Amino acid sequence: MFDFLADHRANLCGGSHLSRRQFLQAGVLGAAGLSLPQYLAAKQAGGVKPGHDQRSCIMIFNLGGPSHIDLWDMKPDAPSEIRGPFKPIRTKSPDIDISEILPLHAKIADKFSLIRSCYHSGAAVHDAGWQIMQTGRRFTGGINTPHAGSVASYLMRQRSDLPPFVVLPELMGRGGGNLPNGQAGGFLGKAFDPFELLADPSVENFNVPDLLPPDQIGAARLERRRTMREIVDGAVRNFEASEDARLYDDNFAAAYRIMTSPQARSAFDLSKEPKKIRERYGMNRVGQCMLLARRLVENGVRFVTVNTFLTVFNELSWDIHGSKPFINVDQMKGEVAPMYDQAYSALIEDLDQRGMLEDTLVTGLCEFGRTPKVNPAGGRDHWPQCFTVSFAGGGVKGGRVIGKSDPIGGFPAERPVTPGDVVATIFHSLGLDPNSHLPGPAGRPFPLTDFGTEPVKELFA
Amino acid sequence: MRKGGSWTALIVGALSISTAVAGELRLLPEQVQLTGSEARHRVRAFRFEDGFAGPVEKANLKSGNPKVVKIDSAGTLIAVGNGETTVTALASDGSKATTAVRVKGIDVPHEWSFRNHVQPVLMKGGCNSGACHGALAGKGGFTLSLRGYDPEGDFFSITRGARGRRVEVANPAYSLLLTKPTAATRHKGGKVIDPNSRDYRILAEWVAAGAKGPTDEDARLDHIEVLPEQSLLKVGDKQPLIVRAHYNDGRVEDVTHWAKFTSSNEVVAFVDDKTGIVSVVGHGEGAVTAWFDSKIVIARVTSPFENQIAESVYSKAERRNFIDDLVLAQLNRLNLKPSPRTNDSEFIRRVYLDTIGVLPTAEETGAFLASKESNKRGKVIDHLLSRPEFVDYWSYRWADLLMINGRLLRPEALKSYYMWLRGCIESNTPWDEIARQLVTATGSSLENGATNFFAVNQDPETMAENVSQTFLALSINCAKCHNHPLEKWTNDQYYGFANLFARVRGKGWGGDPRNGDGMRTLYVEPRGDLIQPRTGKPQIPAPLDGEPLTPDATDDRREHLAEWLTSPDNPYFTRAVANRVWAAFFGIGIVDPVDDLRASNPASNEPLLASISDHLAKSDYDLKSLMRTILQSETYQRSSMTVPENESEERYFSHYYPRRLMAEVLYDAISNVSGVPGDFNAVKLQDGSEQKTEFYPKGTRALQLYDSAVSSYFLKTFGRNERAIACECERSNQPSMVQVLHLSNGVTVNDKLTKKESRASILAKDTRPNAAIIEDAYLSCLSRKPTPQETSQFEKLFADTPEAEKQMVVEDLFWALMTSREFLFQH
Repeated sequence: MFDFLADHRANLCGGSHLSRRQFLQAGVLGAAGLSLPQYLAAKQAGGVKPGHDQRSCIMIFNLGGPSHIDLWDMKPDAPSEIRGPFKPIRTKSPDIDISEILPLHAKIADKFSLIRSCYHSGAAVHDAGWQIMQTGRRFTGGINTPHAGSVASYLMRQRSDLPPFVVLPELMGRGGGNLPNGQAGGFLGKAFDPFELLADPSVENFNVPDLLPPDQIGAARLERRRTMREIVDGAVRNFEASEDARLYDDNFAAAYRIMTSPQARSAFDLSKEPKKIRERYGMNRVGQCMLLARRLVENGVRFVTVNTFLTVFNELSWDIHGSKPFINVDQMKGEVAPMYDQAYSALIEDLDQRGMLEDTLVTGLCEFGRTPKVNPAGGRDHWPQCFTVSFAGGGVKGGRVIGKSDPIGGFPAERPVTPGDVVATIFHSLGLDPNSHLPGPAGRPFPLTDFGTEPVKELFA
Repeated sequence: MRKGGSWTALIVGALSISTAVAGELRLLPEQVQLTGSEARHRVRAFRFEDGFAGPVEKANLKSGNPKVVKIDSAGTLIAVGNGETTVTALASDGSKATTAVRVKGIDVPHEWSFRNHVQPVLMKGGCNSGACHGALAGKGGFTLSLRGYDPEGDFFSITRGARGRRVEVANPAYSLLLTKPTAATRHKGGKVIDPNSRDYRILAEWVAAGAKGPTDEDARLDHIEVLPEQSLLKVGDKQPLIVRAHYNDGRVEDVTHWAKFTSSNEVVAFVDDKTGIVSVVGHGEGAVTAWFDSKIVIARVTSPFENQIAESVYSKAERRNFIDDLVLAQLNRLNLKPSPRTNDSEFIRRVYLDTIGVLPTAEETGAFLASKESNKRGKVIDHLLSRPEFVDYWSYRWADLLMINGRLLRPEALKSYYMWLRGCIESNTPWDEIARQLVTATGSSLENGATNFFAVNQDPETMAENVSQTFLALSINCAKCHNHPLEKWTNDQYYGFANLFARVRGKGWGGDPRNGDGMRTLYVEPRGDLIQPRTGKPQIPAPLDGEPLTPDATDDRREHLAEWLTSPDNPYFTRAVANRVWAAFFGIGIVDPVDDLRASNPASNEPLLASISDHLAKSDYDLKSLMRTILQSETYQRSSMTVPENESEERYFSHYYPRRLMAEVLYDAISNVSGVPGDFNAVKLQDGSEQKTEFYPKGTRALQLYDSAVSSYFLKTFGRNERAIACECERSNQPSMVQVLHLSNGVTVNDKLTKKESRASILAKDTRPNAAIIEDAYLSCLSRKPTPQETSQFEKLFADTPEAEKQMVVEDLFWALMTSREFLFQH
């Protein structure tokens, strides 16, 4: 066993000096998180704080860039070309007013808090925002930084046979750019990429594709197949130096564990949920993904990303430019916002009722906000200079507003918060020490978060 | 003080100085011309060996005539009086080097130029960066063009915006242009310019002199250079760079201070963006890009691996052609040992998969392994290049790039486009001819399939972007809104290029691409222009950096484009395709990614890319000839087994790099080995609905599909190119758990194995000894015989199984073979 903190080269992308056996151990665990001794070592070294063993995170990523001014940072006193068509309503929290198109949020506003002064300095294109918000760092060429979930699955102990990091329903697709978009393990290696569901849990008889062997393959044959595969695969050594090839081996081992674990199978089985609960979340992809996220966390997954939408082109998303192929404000009001309102409020309520909210951080992120001024098509365009993100559970106190935007929602007016701060806040909730280090490219120690970034500690006080 | 002036110790900041190495001492630059009293130029001493500079050398500097030039403590030459002299560097070992210096124009009153001095200062301060005033909407009401691409606009904004408060000619220090960046007044961007700096003085003196704007008479930047161009360094070394700007009035200025630096390979070297000092952190070859005023230049840094390798390893290595010479030269420089030649089983499997995308049959493998002919590898290569499957495979690969996609085209148009491409591959049409036919295509979409190239992107801007991406591997999209921040392409060049397509029209274009029968007619209007939105006027049509056209000529502008595109003088065209072909065989381009040939993404082995490009151009763009040369090289035929002295490298071709088979090849291999072909009978449209297709009879292989929209969970999961944009990057060969679950549990492998016509079912009934069955299965799946150990292990498993379950155990044998990495990977 190697000490992963003492030897920064002992990671999956630079592990060429490891023996095959060591590698297999590291790899299998890698694809499934740290082993207990590694975890304890990490904990001792300050990587994971005590008292956070049960912590998990559900990161909701609102693809398209929701309009903060129309949703959670309304400007009723601004001129009409700024304030838009919607009115604010009162909520259960005296500090939070919210848009009339999010009525269910209003009823649980004591459970979540908003940061109204988030901004980033990346390009105002979708992929750039995905990358910067999910990794906390802007890609400038060269070093591809990992998703917060990959970092968590690298540092936190595996709690079950399930993969530590899952993305529902699948990775966000084309956003128009051609650079890393922050949804994967980056320099930590592909072993820390998320497990992708690749299915829509709202369809009838939903199953995780290929989770179980065909009926004719019973336990004995499954075992024989595994033995045979090892005979063949052990014969050639050409693959030792290839990361992709090593990873295939790890994936086979991890897949075998999932297939043979009743807990893993049951976690994905939405038919075990009462109809009433399923309907409370909404019988659509967004709702059922949120429900599945809860089941996965319940069964030991550390980090779940729920992508509410998958592309901005010709499909529903938050990208209200007002002209084709994007959506318009009426679609947001009539379809997108109600769906999200229902699913999000159901998730928070459900976690709360099950006593899981204290240990489950739910964060609602997005790639940017939208222009203060309504455009000629009646929509709003990309605006990374100021937007709102939400936090609930995982130690966060609800009903607060942190930070403030200027009178038109154009720039942060108080307490500006960067993507680095957002990701540091996630790490803080999970009990990861932002001052610890990851094994970076070429073995260079890479800080969990950059100098100058801080968790938004007011959320927890 | 000694006669002739004093020696100045050349101190270069906090640079670590390596111990002196052998080689000729040179003081760079070797000639300096200082024009005017403000002229400054730094010099640095290096030792050179074989054209490579060693780490910067500690040396004392002396001016031959302090009345002409003096030297400050940082090693910067300062103009004093008109005349000529030399500056001499004296190294600690007594060796000397000189720089010739000429000073002139000292008596001409000095004036700072807005274009050539003020703009670089704003650039260096980050004022016009995308995060600050260079953002489209500016910041705090002050807008500059991104990285200063629009001097006229910026001048207006500085001198006329904010009611003129930005410049106070009578009292320059009160100009917002000076109080803001020094944070003397509240500035959200903080302090970016020091009031005691030369940059401050430039801005202040420019304001004081009347804040004159850019003029047509200003000297224009012609090109920039970097010194030293290539350095041979060790981990821990720090190397300073010098960037020089050459203007069209003959002046050459030291602009190091205003240049922007980035490292293309941070695993090898970092660069300090402010100072241009390179720090070597790893082994390999890296490049540092210096950007100044939309010009780019590259400095290369070589940091050899710490291996002990005898010279004879390289001198005695097998060489088949120039590829091997150039690869070995680099391996030698980097201290990397080449892996030995691959064995025959690996070779035949590899060359089949890479050349025609199919596995060799057990018979073909058997015959090849048995053959004693000395040139049997060469013969297989020639045979494969003329096989019909060659046409399937390469049509499929190029169709990725040409976006032959049923979500964008109606079935008949799609088929016509594919058949046109297929015809080109079948007749080995030269690549320049393919390009010409595509970019100048006119007529019916069903009769001339090439016209569909324009039907998938129907506006001039996207046409321009796609032509550039497809044939030049250059993304010019950024330049649509502003000068390309990483490249030399300007906003004007973008619109000039796009204007070449302004007259291309399609009868029936527009609307939903799925409507109608797909019959469209492409024609070219005799007039019409695309408006450059920044100026509100048409941009003179010109192919990027090519000669402009006469705007009112009525002939098809695309003819001119095709001339420029395919001209031997266009470096990008040949390099782009040569690099794509190379990457198809090695899994990684010499420039990587292959869709990104911008100057700031340099080749891992520039002489190699230059030579294969040259080879391709000389053979009149015969792609097969290039493929043959690659396949015959010893470099291609190296083992995928690493040796300790090359195991960590994946860029310099010291060994063959294993990679997962591409989705379609893997699918076909599974069909082929199992003996059960697939079914492709539906196309998935944009809205997720499926539509039946009858294009593909039973037995069609995945590589024979025209279309990336054909429904297939397998192909999607294994990362086929969805052909939504013109980019090979859309294809993914990355492994994932989902793929593993599908191979293990999914229908693709399991259903094929259990069919009664499957090879497993047939072999299960075979009455020969089990060893023969096992050997057959190995030969068809892995193109090799089982090792004695493997045979005995499987024989035992077979023997333990009741005869009634023989079918199952044979199925399991095939399953194990088909899910092994040896099967899934090209190696």
